[in-house]
Amino acid sequence: MPRADRRRALAAGLAALAFGCTIALAPHAAAAASAFDLEALTALLAKVRSGEATFVETRRIEMLDRTLTSSGRLAFKAPDVFVRETLKPRREKLAVDGNTLTMSIGERSRTLQLDASPEAAVIVEAIRGTLTGNRAALERVFETRVGGDASAWTLELVPRDLRLRGQVASVRVAGRESTVREVRVLLADGDHSVMTIEPVAAGRGAP
Amino acid sequence: MTGADGPRVAARGKAAVVVWLAAVAAALVVAWRAHYIADLSAFLPSAPTPEQAVLLDQLKNGTTSRLVLIGIEGAPPGSDDEGAAAARAQASSRLAAALRASREFAAVHNGETAAWADAGKFVFEHRYQLSPAVDAARFSVAGLRDAIDTTISLLGTPAGSLLKPILFRDPTGETLRIAEALTPARAPRVDHGVWVSRSAPRAVLVATTVADGADLDGQQRALAAVDAASAQTLTPGLRVVVSGAARFAVESRAHIKAEVERLAILGSIVIVALLWLAFATLRALAVALLPVATGVVAGIAAVSLGFGHVHGMTLGFGTTLIGEAVDYAIYYLIQSRAAGPEHWRHESWPTVRLGLFTSLIGFAALVFTGFPGLAQLGVFSIAGLVAAAATTRFVFPTLVPEGAPGAGFRVRLAGAMRALAGALPRWRVGVALLALASLVAVAVSPSPWRGELAALSPVTPAELARDAALRADVGAADAGTLVAVAAADEQGALAAAEAIDARLDALVEQRVIVGYDSPARLLPPTATQERRRAALPDEKTLRERLAEATADGPIPVARLEPFVADVAAARTQSPVTAAALAGTPLAGAVDALLLRGDAARPWRALVNLQSAEGQTIDAARVRAAIADVAGARVIAIKAELDAIYARFLREAQWQAALGASAVALLLAWQLRSPRRLFDVAVPIAAATLVVLAALTLAGAALGILHLVGLLLTVAIGSNYALFFDHLRERGDADADTLASLLLANLTTVASFGLLASSHIPVLHAIGIVVAPGTLLCLIFSAAWLGVARGRTEARIAA
Repeated sequence: MPRADRRRALAAGLAALAFGCTIALAPHAAAAASAFDLEALTALLAKVRSGEATFVETRRIEMLDRTLTSSGRLAFKAPDVFVRETLKPRREKLAVDGNTLTMSIGERSRTLQLDASPEAAVIVEAIRGTLTGNRAALERVFETRVGGDASAWTLELVPRDLRLRGQVASVRVAGRESTVREVRVLLADGDHSVMTIEPVAAGRGAP
Repeated sequence: MTGADGPRVAARGKAAVVVWLAAVAAALVVAWRAHYIADLSAFLPSAPTPEQAVLLDQLKNGTTSRLVLIGIEGAPPGSDDEGAAAARAQASSRLAAALRASREFAAVHNGETAAWADAGKFVFEHRYQLSPAVDAARFSVAGLRDAIDTTISLLGTPAGSLLKPILFRDPTGETLRIAEALTPARAPRVDHGVWVSRSAPRAVLVATTVADGADLDGQQRALAAVDAASAQTLTPGLRVVVSGAARFAVESRAHIKAEVERLAILGSIVIVALLWLAFATLRALAVALLPVATGVVAGIAAVSLGFGHVHGMTLGFGTTLIGEAVDYAIYYLIQSRAAGPEHWRHESWPTVRLGLFTSLIGFAALVFTGFPGLAQLGVFSIAGLVAAAATTRFVFPTLVPEGAPGAGFRVRLAGAMRALAGALPRWRVGVALLALASLVAVAVSPSPWRGELAALSPVTPAELARDAALRADVGAADAGTLVAVAAADEQGALAAAEAIDARLDALVEQRVIVGYDSPARLLPPTATQERRRAALPDEKTLRERLAEATADGPIPVARLEPFVADVAAARTQSPVTAAALAGTPLAGAVDALLLRGDAARPWRALVNLQSAEGQTIDAARVRAAIADVAGARVIAIKAELDAIYARFLREAQWQAALGASAVALLLAWQLRSPRRLFDVAVPIAAATLVVLAALTLAGAALGILHLVGLLLTVAIGSNYALFFDHLRERGDADADTLASLLLANLTTVASFGLLASSHIPVLHAIGIVVAPGTLLCLIFSAAWLGVARGRTEARIAA
C-alpha cells in the first residue's frame, strides 16, 4: 500500500510542520529541547494521527471477591474520535466523537454530551487526550506530571476539580516513544483498574 | 325653527343632556371598576382548533411560561479564569439555595446532584414499579445473569461509584436504568459541579415559578426574589442575567403601562396645542374635549363589559380616538358659530355622519381579526366614536348653541389650507401617476406580507437574543416539537403516552430524535406497574434462579439477600400514583407533561421530543411512527404558530377587502353618482397605494396590523375626500371649513403619528401606516377634488 503510506507520511509531515510552527512561536522553545516535559511528550504523541490497539483490562473492586478481566479493541483518530469496544466477557461499546458520547450495551445505546457528565469526561480525556497528544485538553482537566524520557515515559494525571478528585483520584499513563502502553485508573474509593495496550501495526503513522 | 317648535326642541335638548350625564356616570362607574391587564396573551391569536388550544394554553400557562433562566456572569476582581469559574459555581450554589428557600419557586436546578437526592431516594424505593426493564424475562436465570453482568461492567468506573452503595440491593441496575431514562440527552455543560454555558463564561440556573403563567403579580414576586437572592449571595464582580417567559411577561406589562402613560400625556399635549391653535380660549378648549372624554369613558366601559377586562394596549390606542373624536367638536364649534347649530346640522352633520360610518366599518374589521387584543381596540373605537359623535350631535346644540368663541390661528390655518387647496389641483395628474407608479412598485416587488407572530410581541430583539443564549446553555430550545394525546382520564392519557414512548424508542434508535420526556416514564400507567409487579418471582424462586445466575460470577449469591428482601417487599407495594409523587422534584416534571382534565376538556399527555444539537426534527417521520396511536398528534410549535398566523393573515386580508368594499358601497349609496364615487375613491386608493409601496420598498415585513392600518386609512381618509367632494358640489369653501378640515387632519395624523413612535409593535404598526396614509388622503383629495382657486379666494375675501 505505497499510496496509503505516502498519505500517512504527508499527514505526519503536516502535523510536524504545524508542531514546528508552535515551537517557533513558543517563548520557551529552548527549554522544550532540554527536558522531557508535557510539551515534548504530547508533541511526540501528536505525531500519530490515528491508531488501533487491543487492550486487556483488569479491575480490582473492593466489594467483590475477585479481579475482573475484560478485553477488546481501542481506536482513535485525531483530533477527537475515540472508540473503546469491549469484546469479552460481553460486548460493550463506548464511542466518543467530539462532545458526543455514545454507550452501547447489547441492543441498547444512549447518547450523552461529554461535558455534561464530567466524571465520564475525566476518563475519556485522560485516554483520548493522551492518545492524540492533545496538550490543551489534558491541561484543562488535569494537573500533569511527566516522568522518564521518550523511550519510557509516565504521565500522571490528577483532576483539577476537587469534586472530581473525590471520584477519580488519578490516572497514570505509561508508554514508549509515541505509543501508549498502559493506563492505570485509581478511583477515590480505592478501586483501581489497569489497562494494558498492544498496538495493532496497521493504521500507525510514520515513525 | 317655528315658535311652537322652540320649547319642544329645548325640552328635547335638556333631555339629551340628562341622558348624556346619566350615561357618562354609568360608564364612569364601569370604567372605574374595570379590571386592567397588560399581559402578553393579547398578542396571541385565539385558537381555532383543540390542538392549537393545547399549544396556546401551554404558551400562556404551561411550564414554558413559568420558566426563569438565570445566568451568573463576571469575575471577582483579580481572579484568573479558574478562580472566576469557581467563584461563579459557588455563587450558583448559594443562589440556588436562597431561591429554594424563597418559596416562590417550585423547582430550582443548577446542575448540583444533591438537589436530586430526594428524587433518587423515591426512584430507588419504587424501582420495580418504575423501571422499564422489569418483566418476566428480566427475572429469568438468563435475564438475571445478563442484568448483573451489565451492572458489574460499570463497577470500577466513575459511574460505578454511584452503584456501589446499592449494589447488593439492586444488582440488576433498575435504579440506574430509570435514571438513564430521566437524564436528557442534551444537558448543560457541568463545571465545578454546576451547570455552565458552553459559549460564554457563565453559570446557569433554571427555576420554575410557583405562580402560574397568567399570574403576573406572582411572577413579579418571583423575579423580585431572584433580585433579592442575588443581591444577598453574589460576591463583588459577579452579576446575574435573568430571562424567560416570566421576565418577558412582567417587563412587557411594565413597558405597556409606561407606554400608555407616555402616549396619553403626549396625546393630550398635542391635542390641547392644536385646539389652542384653533380657538385660543380655555372655554372652547374645555368644550371641545367633552366628546373626546365621553368617547374614552364609553370605550373603556364597552370593552370592560364585553371582555371582562381592559388591556393596557387598548388604552394606548385610545389616543387615536382623541384624534378622531376631537374632529367632530372642531367641525361643530367652528361651523355653528357662524350660522347656528341648525346650519351645522344641515350642512356638515351628514358628511360627519358618513365619515363616522366609514370609520365604524374600518374598526368593525378589527373586531373580527381573531386576536383578542385587536378585537378590544375595535370595540373600544366603535363605542368611543359613537359616543363622541352622539355627544356632539345631541348635547352640543343645547350646551353650546353658538359654537365656540375665539379665532385663534384659524385665519392663518385657513390661509395655509387655501394656498394648499389652490396649488394642489395642478398636481392632479401627478397624483394619478404616483398611484400608478406605486401600483407597479408593489406589483414587481417581492411580497412584503411576511410578518410573523413574533413580530407582534413587544419583546425586543436584544432580549430575545439573551433568552436564546441562555436557552442554548441549558439545552432548552423553546420552539421544539411535541406529541400530544388526549384521553378521558389520567390512566388513559398515561397509557397513550406509554404507547407513544414505545414508538419513539424506535426513532431514537434510528437517530431521528435523540430522546424524549414522557409523563409515562415518571408515572407509568397503573396497569403497567401491576404487570411489572406480577413479573416479580416469589422469594424461593428468586433465590433459586439467583443461585444459578451468579454461579461462577464475582458476586456470591449469599450477599444478595437484601435484593431478595427488596423484591419480596415490592411484590406487596401498591402502584405509584400522582399523589405519591407530590413533594418530590418528579411531581413538577409530571405536572408539566400531564395536563389535568375536567368536565370541559380531556386529560392530556405531552411528550417532548429532543433533537440532536443543531438539528431540527423531521415531524413527518414522527407523525408516521405514531400514526397508529389513537388521538396522538405531532405539534411542531414554531410551524404550528406560523400556520395559525398565516391563516389569520389570509382571513384578515379577506376581512380588509370586505371592509373596503363596505366603505365603497356606503359611499356609492350616499353619493349616488358613479363619477363622484370614482373621484372620491381615487385619492384614497392613491394614498393607500403610496403607503404600501413606500413600506414595501423600505423592506418592511408587513403583517395583520399593517393590513388593519391600511383599512383604517381607507375608513378615516375617506372623510377628507368626502369633504372635498361636498365642497365641490356646493361650489364654495369658507375659511372656517377649510381650517377645521386641516385641524381635523392634523389631530388624526398627530395621534397616529404618536402610535408610530410607540415601541409596542402592535401600536407602532398601525401608526406607521395610518399617520402618513391619512395625511396623503388629505393632500391627494385636495389635489384630485380641488376647488378652483378663484372661487375659494372670492369666498374667503368676503
